[in-house]
Amino acid sequence: MVSQLKKQLMMILLKRILFVFLIQQVALTFCNVDAQTRGSEIIYLQTDRTVYIAGESIYYKLYVLDAVTKKCSGMSKVGYIVLRAVNSAPTLKIRVKIDGGMANGSISLPDTLTSGVFQLVAFTGFMRNQGEEHFFHKELTIANRFDKALDFKLIKMTPKDSSQFQLTQLEPKTKTDKVVYGMREKVHVSVGKTNSKSNVSVTVFEESAIPSTYKSIIDVLKDSAVIQNRTQVLNYHSPETKAKLLRGTVIDSKTQRTIKDAIVLLSCIDSVPNLQYAVTNSKGLFQMLLSDYYNGKELFLTIKDAPENQKWQIKIEDEFALSKKWNPSLIAENENYKEFIVKSQNIVYINKSYQLNKEVNKKPTIEDHFICPEFYHCPVNTVFPSDFVALPNFLEIAVEILPQLRIIKEKGEYHAQMFNDFLREFDIHSPAFFLDGVYEDDINKIIELGSDQIKKIELIAAERAFGDLVFGGVISITSKSNEMINSKPSSYSLRLKNDKLNEGGNLVEVNPTTNQNQNIPFLKQLLYWNPNMELNGTDSTDFEFYTSDNLAKYSIKIEGISEDGTPISTGTSIQVTNQINITDK
Amino acid sequence: MLMICISLNAQTNDLLKAPEVDSIFSSKLTGEFFYESKQYIGSQFFNKEWTDGDILLSTGEMIHDKFLKYNGLLDELVWLNKYNYGKFKLDKSFVKEFWLKNVDGSNLHFIKINVSDTSKVSGQDIFVEVEVEGKLSLYIQRKITKQWPQDVLVDNVLYRYDFIEATPKYYIKLPSNEYLVMTKLRRLAFLRLFPEKKKAISKIIRENHLNIKIESDFVKVIELMNQEAVF
Repeated sequence: MVSQLKKQLMMILLKRILFVFLIQQVALTFCNVDAQTRGSEIIYLQTDRTVYIAGESIYYKLYVLDAVTKKCSGMSKVGYIVLRAVNSAPTLKIRVKIDGGMANGSISLPDTLTSGVFQLVAFTGFMRNQGEEHFFHKELTIANRFDKALDFKLIKMTPKDSSQFQLTQLEPKTKTDKVVYGMREKVHVSVGKTNSKSNVSVTVFEESAIPSTYKSIIDVLKDSAVIQNRTQVLNYHSPETKAKLLRGTVIDSKTQRTIKDAIVLLSCIDSVPNLQYAVTNSKGLFQMLLSDYYNGKELFLTIKDAPENQKWQIKIEDEFALSKKWNPSLIAENENYKEFIVKSQNIVYINKSYQLNKEVNKKPTIEDHFICPEFYHCPVNTVFPSDFVALPNFLEIAVEILPQLRIIKEKGEYHAQMFNDFLREFDIHSPAFFLDGVYEDDINKIIELGSDQIKKIELIAAERAFGDLVFGGVISITSKSNEMINSKPSSYSLRLKNDKLNEGGNLVEVNPTTNQNQNIPFLKQLLYWNPNMELNGTDSTDFEFYTSDNLAKYSIKIEGISEDGTPISTGTSIQVTNQINITDK
Repeated sequence: MLMICISLNAQTNDLLKAPEVDSIFSSKLTGEFFYESKQYIGSQFFNKEWTDGDILLSTGEMIHDKFLKYNGLLDELVWLNKYNYGKFKLDKSFVKEFWLKNVDGSNLHFIKINVSDTSKVSGQDIFVEVEVEGKLSLYIQRKITKQWPQDVLVDNVLYRYDFIEATPKYYIKLPSNEYLVMTKLRRLAFLRLFPEKKKAISKIIRENHLNIKIESDFVKVIELMNQEAVF
């Protein structure tokens, strides 16, 4: 009797524990989903086409959306686009400036690209926290203009890929005034009203049967519901809310140990001494904000007071790095698609011959309101060595015309000290040396510069603060012919080129009936590209373009996002017919 | 159970939350080491204690929560770096405005203005406290000046010290962007600056029972002149 009661009690207890456990699991899952998606981003990239000839431009529109609200994200200001071939390193790396969750421009494909399938990968630095599987991927086919064999392999399509974009079923409805058009004829398109104001990109391009794993913005948003792996958050990437973040590590190359509290200095060649610094954390990691000031400049990084007996090194993280190579399933049979590629090659050839490729309209350059991180903002003593008798080296210059500076030689190495006017003695802290605006970590590198090489010397004979760093004065040398370029970096220093922001342009609309000479061929596979079309929630939106002499079936694709976070993916198609066919030419 | 879930959720959110990186990437303050001369009797600082303050740089960037003192003798803003305990005179051209928080219970706003000095050809940049801003603006330069020397015997050694004291300078900015300067608060001297508005100003002073010799009353007069649209 007692044992039966005990059994019953145990059963009740077990049921209760099981119930509590189940409830806990459900609650935890809910919390995790909520936490994982909060603050993360989704990226979508629309391109004008999926088949290109090397030398053409890829026109793109990038959307960065908030993973929760699905609205344009205002967080990341920098986006990265990588173009890579099968099983190889990136062919093109592009950094774009994101404004209000959107960016657009063009990527110029080098003439020398070999024919094959390529993959475009788009992401933000912050998306690295979610894992690379959340990056946007899109497959393109690119053929070299001079490739006659065209024996490259194409992407193997799955039934899912081929059924993803059904133009006729999509909202808002897109209508054209006709279905069939003649050459150089105006096409009028009307896009139905949307729920709220929307920003979309529109492309009208020649359809091809070349396989492409096309994903609409709706598909991408559906796929983004997959929960990310929590462990990947451990190597946290801060969102690039202002500009690019340069991430790196200081390590001891002998022991491979990371160094904490190391001071990493950054400057670049300029007419004014400039400096930025970062201190490494417990994992030896540092981050620096690369504002527009650093765009396209060579960066000079060094470690302040690196110990002589240790081999400290700066390792910079590649912001474009992708951990896995792209290895898709390919098919060798491309005979059916050769005709289209040959036609595309011919069109590009004709347009180049007639110099009709000046379509890319350079976007207005980004406003130059960047701030130079100047090392000082105070009056300085300026000395022009040319005002004095020519001196062979900096040692002589210091002795003869720079009384505030004392250079001493110890164990074969030169050291500098600056006279402190207030203390009436030479300062114990070393002065900061700059050559052509760059922080120079070693005076021995400039000791050989004489009056013939030096244009100007600026001095501050006082202990200076730059943030939390203290220097015993400043000596800034401006050389006559940018001597800093020839300066050899120390083992603990690094020089690297900071890539320029992609400033590609957009397609210029051409009216063939007025601007084009009727005798000049007007052949286009991309009839229209507008990366920024506003659709409103009250009325339909109309746009127009002209057909060309290229007779084909064209797709009109419209992709975008509304203000309330509703994805828009719609389109239709038109036919251009006439008796002339370009492949016959 | 819920508490466990909430705390786990909070921890996960902490990982995903964008950390405050602005302070790491903000511009660095630049300045020269400040050696405080001890040859004065009296304080050379407007705020005697290190005060928490914010600085608006000439680049438009805001730097928050720095230990600051305004040196009225040198007309310099001095920053105490709490990491290396160094005191630095901030580069004046780099500072546009600054705020000293909770000085005797009030927050003070200083701006840099350019005024022409008769002894110099070009204008001079000075820091002034903002008292009134409007059609008529009132700025006070919290100047501290040497008064007279005094010899003091310390350990049988005779030292010469300078007495220093606050000698504020009042800058009234007219709608035409010109400045009128007053070194002493006197009713007659003030009225003489505005001969055409003398009657209206006298009326304001009389009706509000204000004594121009008192700084707070003087500030009130300027405020009332703006309110009653004397200009």
